[in-house]
Amino acid sequence: MRFNEKELVSLSRQPSEMAAELGMRGHKKGDVVKKRLVKLVVNFLFYFRTDEEEPIGALLLEQCRVEREDSQSFSIAFLDEAERKYLFECDSEEQCGEWVDSIVKASYESMRKNLIFYRTEIHRLTGKDPLEQYGISDETRFQVNNGLQLTPRDTSSL
Amino acid sequence: MKLHEKLLTHYLSCTSPVDKEGYLYKKKERNATYQRRWFVLKANLLFYQERPADRHLLGVIVLEGCAVRRSESDGQFAFSLVFEGPGLKTYRFAAGDGQIQESWVKALLSASHCYLSLLVRDLGRQYEDAKQQQGSGTSRHSSSLSALKHSTHFLPVQGRAAVVREGRSFSACPVLQTQSTTPKVVAKKSPKLWPRRNAHVTPLNGPAPLYGEWPLVGFDPLEDFGKLHDYYGQEVKKAREEWLGSRRAKDESIDGHLIDLG
Repeated sequence: MRFNEKELVSLSRQPSEMAAELGMRGHKKGDVVKKRLVKLVVNFLFYFRTDEEEPIGALLLEQCRVEREDSQSFSIAFLDEAERKYLFECDSEEQCGEWVDSIVKASYESMRKNLIFYRTEIHRLTGKDPLEQYGISDETRFQVNNGLQLTPRDTSSL
Repeated sequence: MKLHEKLLTHYLSCTSPVDKEGYLYKKKERNATYQRRWFVLKANLLFYQERPADRHLLGVIVLEGCAVRRSESDGQFAFSLVFEGPGLKTYRFAAGDGQIQESWVKALLSASHCYLSLLVRDLGRQYEDAKQQQGSGTSRHSSSLSALKHSTHFLPVQGRAAVVREGRSFSACPVLQTQSTTPKVVAKKSPKLWPRRNAHVTPLNGPAPLYGEWPLVGFDPLEDFGKLHDYYGQEVKKAREEWLGSRRAKDESIDGHLIDLG
């Protein structure tokens, strides 16, 4: 599958509040912990070899489960597979907590849920739809009944 | 760089709904022909495949750090995703008609994580305000719309624009930095309101500097989302009026959706 690699690499170079050297272990059997520069940018977790400018890889942080493994390490499980777990070792309990928190909040889906919550509540409290002023009230992605929304299809003959 | 594709395809096919899908023509980079593709937009990811039923995905475009532009110079109903930076791409598309074009441009404009993040923060603050106001019986206008009244470069602010915000260069986002390039179209460039810091100076190995040290020192994203919206909205409003003008030739009625708050 093609993807906009250069643009993603460029994204990985953007400033981020969450960027640190952590121990990282892959999900495969036999994988060992390696020192990696791990960086959270939008809903991607990039990881670099310590002195390199281009990331080794990018993990999309959607539909994943972040868990505290012990006082200083956390894991991220993908694809609903308990085995597909990446382990991250931090330097402190506090740092570990910050990472877990940040990753959970970084997911687009969790942000969307917050948005829908605020939208509903603001409307309830004020009678106004806060998205109207931005002209985005009709966007599918912000619909309150997002789970039930029919997807708009543009099947006009071209 | 390895993009763990399975994570993306899994996300695409999971139960959360798709934000938009439909046919668009995508321009091939090399020979400038267009190929019809089925596009699926979910979160800040734009997937494409040959047909809706296909299991095989041809590709994905991560929608961060790009501006969405109507590009009539590319042809009718054309628009593009412009990634700003050295060596970065511009993806060019064409829609079947103006309505499809309009709806895709709108959807793509509000697709980025960055945009959503600002929006959530803005709404979060409105929510807190609304809760406090609850007992008083007054409904308060959003304080986030303190519009830019003065600007040497750009279109004069005419008040709220109830239209889509365009040309969202990622200088507007507190997370991303922008390259400074000569402005091609004035309203799309960075407002240069905030001192900018070159992220390339930042050692990649070190911890990221504290949030406060980044370009938007003193920037209140909660307040400024409204500003950004107003500011970029002007260009869009103008473009939209032009588009509507061409529609008027066929359709006498004025588009009732455009609320003139100016």
